[in-house]
Amino acid sequence: MMRLSGRLRSAMIIGGQGIRARKLRTLLSMVSLFLGVLAVVVVQAGAGIAERLQLADLELQAGKDGTKALYLPPVAGAGQAVADVVAGRSDAVAMFSTNATIGEPGVRPVNEGGSPFDENWGGSSQICDNSGKCYDPNAGKPQGQAIELRITALTGDVRDFRPYRPRSGQWLDFGTTPLLAPRLVLNEEAAKGFERYHVPAEMRVNGVTAGLTPQIIGVVKDGNSQPQAYVRLDELTNWIPLSKLTDPNGGFSDTQLLMAGSTPVEQVVIAKLKGLGATDVSVETINSRKEMEDELNLLRLIFLAMAGLVLVIGAAGVLNVGLATVGERVEEFALRRAVGTPRAVLAGIVLAETLLTGLFTAAAAIGVSVAALKAATIFLGPSQPFLQGVEFPWSAGVSGVIAGLVAGVLGGFVPAIRAAGIPIATVMRA
Amino acid sequence: MTELIRLTGITKVLKGQKEPRTILDGVDLTVRAGESVAIVGRSGSGKSTLLSVLGLFDRPDSGTYLLDDRDISRLPERHAAKLRSSHFGFVFQRFFLLKHLTAAQNVAMALINGQGWQPRRERRARVMRALEQVGIEHLAKNRPTKMSGGEQQRVAIARALVRDPRILLADEPTGALDTETGSIVIDALQEATTRGCALILVTHDRDHAARMGRIHDLQAGVLSERAPALSLSGPTAQLPHVGGPAA
Repeated sequence: MMRLSGRLRSAMIIGGQGIRARKLRTLLSMVSLFLGVLAVVVVQAGAGIAERLQLADLELQAGKDGTKALYLPPVAGAGQAVADVVAGRSDAVAMFSTNATIGEPGVRPVNEGGSPFDENWGGSSQICDNSGKCYDPNAGKPQGQAIELRITALTGDVRDFRPYRPRSGQWLDFGTTPLLAPRLVLNEEAAKGFERYHVPAEMRVNGVTAGLTPQIIGVVKDGNSQPQAYVRLDELTNWIPLSKLTDPNGGFSDTQLLMAGSTPVEQVVIAKLKGLGATDVSVETINSRKEMEDELNLLRLIFLAMAGLVLVIGAAGVLNVGLATVGERVEEFALRRAVGTPRAVLAGIVLAETLLTGLFTAAAAIGVSVAALKAATIFLGPSQPFLQGVEFPWSAGVSGVIAGLVAGVLGGFVPAIRAAGIPIATVMRA
Repeated sequence: MTELIRLTGITKVLKGQKEPRTILDGVDLTVRAGESVAIVGRSGSGKSTLLSVLGLFDRPDSGTYLLDDRDISRLPERHAAKLRSSHFGFVFQRFFLLKHLTAAQNVAMALINGQGWQPRRERRARVMRALEQVGIEHLAKNRPTKMSGGEQQRVAIARALVRDPRILLADEPTGALDTETGSIVIDALQEATTRGCALILVTHDRDHAARMGRIHDLQAGVLSERAPALSLSGPTAQLPHVGGPAA
């Protein structure tokens, strides 16, 4: 151990002396290596950031991998049948979604069609009846202070399947008695709308004439860019019958059932739906995270291969400089052997120099990447929301260091072998 | 005096040419601790090859090389490197100082060679002691480019002495120096023998050779002892001419 330590220290000290003696040459080696290491760091950082952004929102929207999802077919009584089966269960949650408007009655909402507030989808959603006749529910109405959003009524806590992240306030409590004033939890886009527009607290759901007064109790991040609100089904059905909520002619209603992988609910619901006349009932197991990861990994590999190519070219530069340097230092290495330096330490000296060069390059590349990301978040963050709160992934830093070390080994290996093979007699013949 | 080195029938043949050439032909040599031996001879007579064999740079083709009664004729390279570090000090005609290092760092080079490890303070003390032995401790922080030839060679001697070697091998150490400076360098080398270090000096200079305890003449690979040692205080006119005609 002591011997190894002595050899290692000797190689590091002499390698450091060599770098100090040849600063310009080291700098040029670093320049040739810099683009390759930078490419690796940028690809890894980009992939890390993209993965985090994509996968984080993906789970919120599609659900955790392994969750089973069933879209209810448009058959009469299907909604009630599902609600009856899952009532009080935690291994399955039904989500009944439709459009709703909160604000002044008889006006066109500020975001017709439930569009995001900074986008205009160009008019309201058309509603079609049984005969196939479609109409604009806001036709002829004046513009007013109202917000249109998607409202989802839940039979239980859906966060076991879609891990919505709390932003403020609280989430729906399914253990208490339902209130007459339905409690709403907004997503961030809906919260933005209510911050921007002051609207009366009166909610109307498509197809229902009664206006109800909701109370907003919290905000979550749900990965949805549209304004969205979540409500307990039993609080909403105080005002709106479930049949209306699931009426396909009532305007954009849809019902989804999310289940744990091993729940008996699946078989019961399928049997009930078939009993109600549904012919095509299919259950999908969510696997989107893995699919997305596979896609991202493929992209990452393609870019890493390109970065690796640039790195190899950089390593070739280091190799070239290393060979030239060893050629110039023949007498030094022969002399070092003469004073008892083992061949392995001579090889270690050359490798230490190229490895240190690789490490310095990695540090520079990581520093540039961190600074560039910081600058991007400061200057572009306000206009590019995906850049907000983005941090440099540590895995990219590790990749940069590994790339630097690998390039150091690739560039230093052959010169190291040459240095170790220099005959001592060189000093005798000089 | 303790016998340090015993060469018996050492032969070295240079191959790779049309005709193999015998460089060393049955060389016998014994060197004791504290003894100084000069090896003289014409250019190409095999002096440097003999020094290479003695310094474990090269292996003999036949014969035995005993160091402290241990046969090291066929020593593997890693063991040879260890012995070079622990037993030998080398001084060459060209000083081989690294220009980017100070005198002290050049001397410390022999200590930072992967053969064990010494703390920096201990290393520095040994380096300064070696520089003091050759009288140039005041030049410790100077780089070789700022030194004269004699000073550079004394740094090289300090480098050879810093590990307290038992055998000092010097290959034409005064070849690149004027007479007066060369004499100072020989003084520094001989000083080491007073501490029990054996000195083997390869030289063309008959005056310097005459200051050694024994003189061996190498002619066409054959080594023979020439003359008994003469006192340093003796008249140089009485010194035998070695290695060719007198200058």
